[in-house]
Amino acid sequence: MIITLGLILLAISGAPLFVVIGAMALWGFYQSDIDLSIVAIEFFRLAETPVLMAIPLFTFAGYLLSEGRAPYRLVRLTQALLGWMPGGMAFVALVACALFTAFTGASGVTIVALGALLYPALQQAGYRNNFSLGLVTTSGSLGLLFAPALPLILYAVVAQQLGLGGAISVDDMFLAGVLPGLLMLGILMAYALYASRHIPLTRFSSREAWDAVRDAAWEIPLPILLLFGIYSGYFAISEAAAVTVLYVLIAEVFVHREIPLRRLPGLMRESMLLVGGILVILGLSLASTNYIIDADVPGALFNWLHERVHDPLTFLILLNLFLLVLGTLLDIFSALVLMVPLLLPVAIQYGVDPVHLGIIFLANMQIGYFTPPVGMNLFIASYRFDKPIMTIYRATLPWFLLLLGAVLIITYWPSLSLTLTGRH
Amino acid sequence: MSAWLPRLQRLITRVEEILMALLLGGMILLAGSQIMLRNLFDSGLVWADPVLRILVLWIALFGAIAATREHRHLRIDLISHTLSQKTQDWLAKIHDLFSALVCLTIGWHAARFVYVEWQEGSTLFSNVPAWLGELIIPVGFILMGLRFLLNIPLKPLRDQAA
Repeated sequence: MIITLGLILLAISGAPLFVVIGAMALWGFYQSDIDLSIVAIEFFRLAETPVLMAIPLFTFAGYLLSEGRAPYRLVRLTQALLGWMPGGMAFVALVACALFTAFTGASGVTIVALGALLYPALQQAGYRNNFSLGLVTTSGSLGLLFAPALPLILYAVVAQQLGLGGAISVDDMFLAGVLPGLLMLGILMAYALYASRHIPLTRFSSREAWDAVRDAAWEIPLPILLLFGIYSGYFAISEAAAVTVLYVLIAEVFVHREIPLRRLPGLMRESMLLVGGILVILGLSLASTNYIIDADVPGALFNWLHERVHDPLTFLILLNLFLLVLGTLLDIFSALVLMVPLLLPVAIQYGVDPVHLGIIFLANMQIGYFTPPVGMNLFIASYRFDKPIMTIYRATLPWFLLLLGAVLIITYWPSLSLTLTGRH
Repeated sequence: MSAWLPRLQRLITRVEEILMALLLGGMILLAGSQIMLRNLFDSGLVWADPVLRILVLWIALFGAIAATREHRHLRIDLISHTLSQKTQDWLAKIHDLFSALVCLTIGWHAARFVYVEWQEGSTLFSNVPAWLGELIIPVGFILMGLRFLLNIPLKPLRDQAA
């Protein structure tokens, strides 16, 4: 008990999470008299899970896309195609951010790479300052539910490792995220439409549209190729990731020549720093999870909870509250790896489908990014746009409430997540 | 403070970049050719898949070593901004010491595991020994442990230099 408290104290005072998880595993196995080299054996499972290859590959592709002028071309293209509609520029921002986040895995990079383009463009188009600020801050994590976002992959991997009957594949998660993701996008678009009612329309220019299409000719096939490849089952996830990297390398380095070859090793190292950070947590949590399951911690948690909470509905409300707080404290990757092994077995006991739980989890994490007072993207936006944090709080509040509504719908309407997967 | 510390830092960064480029570049090329072979010639390299999976492990640990050096591991940070600089420095020392102990313990037991694998002569595929792929686990954790240990006296020096 004292050890557990000490570890929690170390964790919240800022010790590296992988170390805390490693210590947890070591201590647990030591107490059960199991040879501690089991930690290394469990860690080696990183090399026995083929789909994990997608994580370094997609991350590197995301870094490549952010480095060159691809974000600029993406904004220009959506602007030329959608800009003429009522609410057009806001749609541009939402769609561009969702696409970009799906490909870069929601690490705050969307605000940095796209925010600088979209924020001035929104103001120029006549949107109120606070509206624009709130929109770009909120959009920084939009798109998390669309393939091939890393958190979807990671959830499937963690859930599979638990071995709780009923396989959960990455493909299931990719399908399950589509409708909830569209719901979020739709709600935000409706709000943008309402907010833009006083803004005069711009005319559609077929010339600019054509130029923008030509300008982005190399990027346009990528999402089509990738989504078609994944959803049709032609590519395995890891293959799709390899194809994406090769394609992006050719487009940005050799065709557009915006990233010099000598910049590549630096970019590789930079992106693999993040990957190493995520995978080392995952690897050690495979060991700690193994211990947690052996000791039947989820079972104890369920029994304790079940005496107090009988119906699934109350459970889901509590789950939402818990995840919302969790999302502001932990980055999405650590939260997944740490909490899914505890929550998933409990949720299954309450009759929640594992795939649905994954979508609930990620949707909560998505708004956790900008939940006041400590959501990470609030600070990134404050820093990036040089605005006081209080201004950012006020600007994001209406967006936050709207997406909170969306999260509640996603939580209490399982079919929205499960229809496409055919899991009911 | 002389200039050897920043110079050493740059050298290490460079070595890390080269290793990363080899590992990740190798992964991209190998995975790419595997897809080409499968689709165009309906064949493939038998050793490619196990090597790709081992590469994930190596990239993970090299990335983690680099993250250790740059103080970039994922962490929850709720209270540090409420503490004085002096308390923060002390807390950092405690974290570094604790991290060093945990990493070295894992590294030691990983080394025992790899040693057993070496003695038993397990193989990864055909006749490539398993310990070769697994070696990075003890090496990675021991390097990270030493790095955390070095941080305790080095960090004040680095702050001075910066």
